[in-house]
Amino acid sequence: MRYIVLIFIFLSLAFTVDPFNSDQRLQMPYKKEGLTEREAAEHLLSRLSFGGRPGEVEKLLATGLDKWVLQQLEQSLPDTDLEKRLSGYDALSLDNQTIVNTYLNAGQVVRMMQKKGTLSRDSMAKLEKDDYRKDVLKLMQEKGLKLPQELNRQLIAQKLIRAVYSENQLQELMTDFWFNHFNVSVTKGQSQPYVLTYERDAIRPHTLGKFESLLKATAQHPAMLYYLDNASSGSDNNAMNQRIKKMVPANSKLKKAAGLNENYAREVMELHTLGVDGGYVQADVTEVARALTGWTVRPMMKDGYGERLAKMQQSRLGKNVATTDGDFLFLAVRHDQQEKTVLGKKYPSNGGLNEGLEVLHQLAKHPSTATFICKKMATRFVCDTPSVKLVAAMADVFTKTGGDIKQTMIAMLNSREFWKKEVLRSKIKSPFELVVSAIRATNADLRNANQLNDWCTRMGQKIYSYAAPTGFPDKASFWVNTGSLLNRMNFGLAIAAQRIPGVGMNLLALNNNHEPESVDDALQTYSTILLPGRNQKENIGRLTSLVRDEALQARLDKALASTQSTATSEEDMTGGVDMMGEEKTPKMGKGKEKKMETGVSGQVAHVVGIIIGSPEFQRK
Amino acid sequence: MANRRAFMKSGAMALFATGLGGVPSFIAATAGEKKIIPTYKKNKTLVCIFQRGAMDGLMAVTPYSDPNLKLLRPGLYMSPAQTEGQLFDLDGKFGLHPSLGSLSPYFTEGRMAVVHGVGSPNKTRSHFDAQDYMESGTPNSKSTASGWLNRAVGLTGHEATPFSAVSLTAALPRSLQGDHDALAINNLEEFVIQMRGNPLAGNIAANSFEQLYDQTSNQLLKQSGKESFEAMKMLDLKLVKNYTPASGAIYPNSPLGRSLKQIAMLVKMNIGMEVAFAESGGWDTHFNQGTTNGSFARNLKDFSDSIAAFWKDMAGYQDEVTVMTMTEFGRTVHQNGTGGTDHGRASCLFVLGNDVQGGKVYHKMGSLDKASLEDNRDLPVTTDFRSVFGAVAKKHLNVVDTAKLFPGYEGDMLYL
Repeated sequence: MRYIVLIFIFLSLAFTVDPFNSDQRLQMPYKKEGLTEREAAEHLLSRLSFGGRPGEVEKLLATGLDKWVLQQLEQSLPDTDLEKRLSGYDALSLDNQTIVNTYLNAGQVVRMMQKKGTLSRDSMAKLEKDDYRKDVLKLMQEKGLKLPQELNRQLIAQKLIRAVYSENQLQELMTDFWFNHFNVSVTKGQSQPYVLTYERDAIRPHTLGKFESLLKATAQHPAMLYYLDNASSGSDNNAMNQRIKKMVPANSKLKKAAGLNENYAREVMELHTLGVDGGYVQADVTEVARALTGWTVRPMMKDGYGERLAKMQQSRLGKNVATTDGDFLFLAVRHDQQEKTVLGKKYPSNGGLNEGLEVLHQLAKHPSTATFICKKMATRFVCDTPSVKLVAAMADVFTKTGGDIKQTMIAMLNSREFWKKEVLRSKIKSPFELVVSAIRATNADLRNANQLNDWCTRMGQKIYSYAAPTGFPDKASFWVNTGSLLNRMNFGLAIAAQRIPGVGMNLLALNNNHEPESVDDALQTYSTILLPGRNQKENIGRLTSLVRDEALQARLDKALASTQSTATSEEDMTGGVDMMGEEKTPKMGKGKEKKMETGVSGQVAHVVGIIIGSPEFQRK
Repeated sequence: MANRRAFMKSGAMALFATGLGGVPSFIAATAGEKKIIPTYKKNKTLVCIFQRGAMDGLMAVTPYSDPNLKLLRPGLYMSPAQTEGQLFDLDGKFGLHPSLGSLSPYFTEGRMAVVHGVGSPNKTRSHFDAQDYMESGTPNSKSTASGWLNRAVGLTGHEATPFSAVSLTAALPRSLQGDHDALAINNLEEFVIQMRGNPLAGNIAANSFEQLYDQTSNQLLKQSGKESFEAMKMLDLKLVKNYTPASGAIYPNSPLGRSLKQIAMLVKMNIGMEVAFAESGGWDTHFNQGTTNGSFARNLKDFSDSIAAFWKDMAGYQDEVTVMTMTEFGRTVHQNGTGGTDHGRASCLFVLGNDVQGGKVYHKMGSLDKASLEDNRDLPVTTDFRSVFGAVAKKHLNVVDTAKLFPGYEGDMLYL
């Protein structure tokens, strides 16, 4: 008997270790596709980072391609500069409870005061008056309360700062990718306070881990529970619920029928796992919604229901009624206790909280999910229309490794398709990627992110604000349209001319403090720095014909003589949101201006602006 | 008239209205080079205004004659009999809110119609979902990639210009997303390659960019670049900078006022715009809604004055323009505990145009007694929004195939 047990243990160990350990070696076949090591390095920087910084190709070559990729997949490079830059953002480490009790809009404060009786109905009617509004805001300041806009400002700033300065670039790209896959939006008021912790706690820790962990973490996070309404989904198919209803008087709120909300159930299959053609029908949507009834958010507002719930949970009955896991709350009385069938699989009655977790597990390991997720990854990292063969190869690894994202990435890098010549620079940068890559390529100093965020918005990407659960579409045609393209060009001109407050750029330092001798020279120098790996001859040829035209050059000299590049003084770009709730973002170009001290001529800035706005710089 | 609407696609030049006071300089430079060939007759311009946040239709156009209304919202009830700030009686049943005073003449003249009890068959009371459903035009499907106005552009039966569909917003609204080109411009003055304080350097940069985009091997960048520069050249910035509205119209200096003013400029530039989109916010009146004064009245006045100014400004163009408003849902019939109303179901909308069968409130509204309300609380949706949008698109944009415009919709059309 003992031996049988031992053999069984041995076998099960062998099983858990071997078949699931399909770790592959990283073997990037770039040479087979005719790429040099340098070209491969440039491609890696273009796809696995937000664009290289000056000299980064050489640095990568010195590290070695394989080692660099493995470092990025490990995501554990020290990030001291980044941490220093983020240290001033105090909201980044707060928990949900602190956030919802700190960042309140004026209406919430008024309601709170009204509840406490510190505000009469008379004075409420005067709310429109400015002085009254000031009183409310003064009170907020006294109590340490802040406006939601300030939370958003920090959320946006940290994304830009991390993308520019993190050494673990792939981690930032993956965070962006998975956030967009499991999109939530600050445009929905209920989920807005939780978006910061959603990215931090539900997305970031799992970006290169197991897909199922991501799925579960997002499903149980307040941001998602509110964004797709599962927090309010409930059922009357519950014995406890029915007993309560019998006991309470007819006009009680508890008499109200609990309603099923299918919003999350539909999207979790359509957008997060199986894909729209993944083989589910409307009945499955309803069944998944039923399995997830009672999945909601722990009440966190002070003086509210939250404290009562906590007390109730201490009683024996309470433990059965409500289970919490962090800020996730399972309300057993709202859970549908009857049997369900999801995609042909039966779930017996009284499954409780575990039932929903099992449904998520079923969805995560479904073959349609492997294909859907891998296609999305390949679309993001390889090209807008990845081949069926590549997706299948990735999906195979995804399935064999139990949804291991890191292993799936390695499978992608080991494919020949990733290295094909026609794949190089075939993707178009999103506005966010353009902004970040421009700062990285010029080694610019990002001191304040407000204006950059405005530029992203003008170019068509209002970050954290895509209202639909699909997230931003990942295809060039979405980013490149008539209106946004002109703004991309204007962005190039503005950033190079030092007209974006909060961003400092030293073009002279970029060229080892050597001033280009002519416009031609400037073109040669900065094309090489900003567009490494491009066919410089062809590129410069095109630009040269434009600036060599003597008549044009004379006009340019004359035009630029009148406005030497200027920088906006620091005092005016503190930005942020003041207590009055008005965004203090300085108007473009209207700040106090002072002469740039780098001594670079306007012509150089002009050339750099044209390079950043050029079609080549839009590609990655 | 037909001539004035003519437009030539290639060569990026628009035929300018003769009455506009001279041909802009950039046109002068090239207009001689290429003969202007009209390729199609432009449809009217449909101006859509989305009231985000859900407008209380029962307060904007009040069914004051129903006694239940006063019972359910005593603090918000208004009637034509009031001495101060009284309603403008439309037909003995409905009254127009006094803040809509600037639009009331158009109702009297029969150019403005009201549709009441309008909304979506989908019962969601989430702003976000309801807007999404209304803008995609498919109230039961979230996976529809395109917006209904984008599909409308593709169904006009002729080529598009870069300015066929324009939204005066920072980002393209859901209504205009899709396969056909649509433009989001927050501020027409920014639709230019610019070096602040140095227009000459801006021009030079524009010239460089145009050539670079023309030479790129990436087809998408090349094509979009071409269209961008075409659009940029079509835009008469002089008209934008020195714009004086016609007939002394004064636009409120509000987001909606500014958007409609720019839409008026685009109409006058005659650059092929058939769909225009603007937004108005602040309708989510959960709190202290007020009656003749207060947040709702103020917002409604801005809404009314902006549209009235636009219509006045459109003086010579009114035959070519139709305005339609929309909002994602209505609000509860009863007032809530904080002097406002919560998310409800049906609301009302306005259609304004010279050939609109106006002067009438189109509705199938029943009694407002609690038992007749949806879920005992809300004005039921008795008119599907698609029946109005579809009819307007058919009549004013010549969209014939409404089945493609609103896939899955099999109801009637409500022609006004």
